[in-house]
Amino acid sequence: METAALIVVLVILLALFFDFTNGFHDTANAMATPIATGALKPRTAVMLAAGLNLVGAFLSTEVSKTISGGIVREDQIHGDLFPALIFAGLIGAITWNMLTWLLGLPSSSSHALFGGLIGATLVGIGMNGIDFGAVLSKVVLPALIAPVTAGLIAFLATKLAYLVTRRYDGRPDGRSGFRWGQIFTSSLVALAHGTNDAQKTMGVITLALITVGWQSGAHHEPQLWVIIACACTIALGTYLGGWRIIRTLGKGLTDVKPAQGFAAETSTAATILASSALGFALSTTQVASGSVIGSGLGRRGSAVRWRTAGRIAIGWVLTLPAAGAVGAVAALIVVIGGGWGVLIDAILALAVIIGLFLRSRRNAVTANNAFSEVADSGLAVEVPEEPPLTPRQARAQRARERAKAREKGAGR
Amino acid sequence: MTVAIHWEAFFQVLGAALVGTLLVVGFYALGLRMLVRAGRVPVVTPAEFTDAITVISEKEAKRAAKAAAKAARKSPLSEGQKTLAQIAAYACFAVCAAAVLGGILLIVVK
Repeated sequence: METAALIVVLVILLALFFDFTNGFHDTANAMATPIATGALKPRTAVMLAAGLNLVGAFLSTEVSKTISGGIVREDQIHGDLFPALIFAGLIGAITWNMLTWLLGLPSSSSHALFGGLIGATLVGIGMNGIDFGAVLSKVVLPALIAPVTAGLIAFLATKLAYLVTRRYDGRPDGRSGFRWGQIFTSSLVALAHGTNDAQKTMGVITLALITVGWQSGAHHEPQLWVIIACACTIALGTYLGGWRIIRTLGKGLTDVKPAQGFAAETSTAATILASSALGFALSTTQVASGSVIGSGLGRRGSAVRWRTAGRIAIGWVLTLPAAGAVGAVAALIVVIGGGWGVLIDAILALAVIIGLFLRSRRNAVTANNAFSEVADSGLAVEVPEEPPLTPRQARAQRARERAKAREKGAGR
Repeated sequence: MTVAIHWEAFFQVLGAALVGTLLVVGFYALGLRMLVRAGRVPVVTPAEFTDAITVISEKEAKRAAKAAAKAARKSPLSEGQKTLAQIAAYACFAVCAAAVLGGILLIVVK
């Protein structure tokens, strides 16, 4: 039992570390667009994101319940092995996250987490350990559907925003006023991020507590100290992730207009919040990327750069199985080596964390690690500097020109 | 092992997010339009001019402010109509705020 307790403590520490990297990595997702349009000063944006992530983590626990009480069948699991498997799964997730970060591949912390957990459980417990129905309906399908949903909504919202503010008399349209709105919508995205991403870590910790019997399996609600710890960790990660954004600002960023950014952020926030309420654990990165692409397409005369879009999609599809494979290998070490296996895994995890730390100290900023996947995904859409006129705008312009010519003729 | 997928849940998410987004974006845009109508064209310059911002330069912002003032002077609306438009604008922004707060409350209460 003592080793089990030790392993649970290790799981909690590693899960919180994962939470931290998640916040660290995802600040940009909430704040990329407002910084890009100049709605917020970078420093303010980062502070706001951290604070609202903290608040968001307290709002809903549905996603946490999905993880602690849906995906893995605890009733099929007994003995002290499982906490060690969660540990292995977390190692899979963190390793894959670091690898994709180093290689500049688009990825998703959330799917890395699920992949690692599922891979480790499959190796350690077998097919019975996983509720594939829950995995399919609460993880895999939302992963595929949510970015498309967000993209579609952002597309329609962008069209609507431009349609309502479009003017045909050539006078100012007041669209820069969307910058004010962006302050609120980007805050909403940060809040939504807290309701979905912080929950995932809570779910993992709760799952570990349930399997060793420190929490009753009948209640999947995370305990208060778990909520507080996860909320604070993700907020800290978000805040500390900010310096990276401030430093790398302006590299590899696409042109986002305020109206478009406003629509994209609203769509992202609405999709994540609605999913959180129903307990869908989705990747906030992918939803935000979907929104940015959708809103780009909502601008007149834009076109998809299929090559870039394809690269992003491949990164997304790869994450779950790849993290699963790493998690499975880590679990295999546990299954074969027992206590020694956990030790080996712990050493490997430490090496990965130190590697991550060293990497983050290095100042090299390349186009690959520059901003965020969300900002990068904007590159998948090609938008002309001057959008073509709508037919009515073109008619109005011709009419104005004719009137001007007549005036000139009359004056002569 | 049965694999039960609740498809209606996905439509719930799509519906809720779509309605929420269109409500917020639509009314915000309408509010801006009303502000313009009221002769108070918002000219919001970027909070900080970084390399990232290619959207509007300082010069362009000044030009935009001038154009806004000119448009406001030329407005054919009477003072009363302008005030009405301004009230309508703030009402639209209030609808946005209410939609956002309502959405968050729905999640918390659940």
